[in-house]
Amino acid sequence: MMSSDARRGQVLYHWAISLGILLIVGISGGSWLSRMALRRQLLEADPSRVLSNPSLLGPAVRLGAPVYRKHCEHCHGVNLEGDPKRGVPNLARHYWLYGNDPVDVEHTIYYGIRSGNSQARNVAEMPALIRTGQITAGDGRDVVQYLESLSGQPHDSAAAIRGRSIYYNKGNCYDCHANDARGVIDYGTPPLRGPVWLYGGDPETLFQSVLNGRHGQCPAWVSVLTPLQIRAVSVYMLTSTSKGASHT
Amino acid sequence: MRRPTLVDQDFFDVRKPSVRRSMTLLALGAVTGLVLAGYGLFTAKGTRSRRVPAEAVALVNQRPILRSDFMTQTQTQFFLPFAQTRYADRKKVLQDMIDEELMMQRGLEIDLPSYDPNVRSALVAGVELEVTADVLALQPSAEEMRAYYEEHKAKYSSEGLMRLRELVAKSGPGRSAAQLRDTSEAAVAALRKGDALEAVMKAFGLVDSGRFMDAGHIDTGDMFQFAVKDKTDAVTYQAATGLKDGEVSDPIPLADGVHLLLMISHRFPVPQSFEEAQNRVWTDIKTEAQARVRGANLVYLRNRADIMIAPEYTK
Repeated sequence: MMSSDARRGQVLYHWAISLGILLIVGISGGSWLSRMALRRQLLEADPSRVLSNPSLLGPAVRLGAPVYRKHCEHCHGVNLEGDPKRGVPNLARHYWLYGNDPVDVEHTIYYGIRSGNSQARNVAEMPALIRTGQITAGDGRDVVQYLESLSGQPHDSAAAIRGRSIYYNKGNCYDCHANDARGVIDYGTPPLRGPVWLYGGDPETLFQSVLNGRHGQCPAWVSVLTPLQIRAVSVYMLTSTSKGASHT
Repeated sequence: MRRPTLVDQDFFDVRKPSVRRSMTLLALGAVTGLVLAGYGLFTAKGTRSRRVPAEAVALVNQRPILRSDFMTQTQTQFFLPFAQTRYADRKKVLQDMIDEELMMQRGLEIDLPSYDPNVRSALVAGVELEVTADVLALQPSAEEMRAYYEEHKAKYSSEGLMRLRELVAKSGPGRSAAQLRDTSEAAVAALRKGDALEAVMKAFGLVDSGRFMDAGHIDTGDMFQFAVKDKTDAVTYQAATGLKDGEVSDPIPLADGVHLLLMISHRFPVPQSFEEAQNRVWTDIKTEAQARVRGANLVYLRNRADIMIAPEYTK
């Protein structure tokens, strides 16, 4: 037969266990609910407000960093430095082809660039001007010299003058790259004045662009990442490249 | 003797074990579970959501309108960064997007793609674009283009021009195959000798085939080679491509009789150099690659589809 003290001890023990379980469930539930609320806030807020609100920015960056490392890093680089061999822009140097407005960045991540998704960014692509016969190889070399002159590189002045004429006439380059060769974010055309280049600013690389054209791509992530991950990774990328403006 | 009751003295004394209490609680739990499950089963509305998900700005018949799409649409419509757009403008865009979603859903509801050719075409074009996206991104290298050109050199040439007459010794009652052959061979010999065309036609009972009557240059009668190919059969076209100015073909037996070709003038196609043809090479490589991908996609779709064809078309 159990003594009354022993029985009391047992009852107390059961109460302690029950309270402990309740406490754990309560804390986990509360933490889960607050995480959910934060995620909801992150998604519901205007993207630009997330960037200016430290209580949202921190969690967004913490969420976005692993997503970036898993899905974006192998093209955009560890420090968002891009890859000129593949025409991946140097975001660390604010080389945002389609602008650095958070909404624009998110749109690009959602649907990609020339990804085949019907909402992808695909207004224009760099044509193979020489291959398609629009300009001759000589014209192409002259245009390259003109671009070298714009970026303050050593160049052949006579060829650059001829190249300028090609840029504004036969080549129609100004149409997409703008009159001042600073690129147009509506088309995602890169600036052509250096010092940062999409594929490289040496004469041979520039000539290859004019000869063969370019067709940069970014996959659409709409079916891979959740809206929250996309919001977070865009915030991560925008904050990681500091507060600089895009190229235009 | 004590009669057994449903609730005995030990039932409410938690310090004492009671089989009856255990069984009763078990039964209560089971019943509660069943009631809850039944309620859920018979009153469920699928995965219906009662609140707009955070990533969406609206739910239209449970289909979300994504915030990202809404923001892009607002920016596009008002040429302003989203943060600078007014609340009223945003609401207008949202209402427009809801209207569009409703119309789209209605279109699906009435199965518009099944009978509206425009919708069908748009759908097909959309799917093709998705399927061939990678191919559109293809950038053939200079070496690949050169190799393709060398492999398909025959098709890279300027378009040839022909001016020709096609005569027929018609088959019919009383004209045997041997007679037709003799007549046409004699006609060929006469033409090759230089006899006048009209005289030969009259002498041997030949008629114009009429296949080139409505074709060719209005004054000269010159026809592009592709037009000749289009208007005649493969055997006749093959014979025509080898004829020089003034030459006459050998007799060509066809279903309606024996045909002869008289080539009045023939400007042969001039082969194009790689530099001249590279535009077409570029296009051809892309077109071929697209066709391959499109074909592979259709094979895949057919393999997983359940297609039944009426018996008269299964042979």
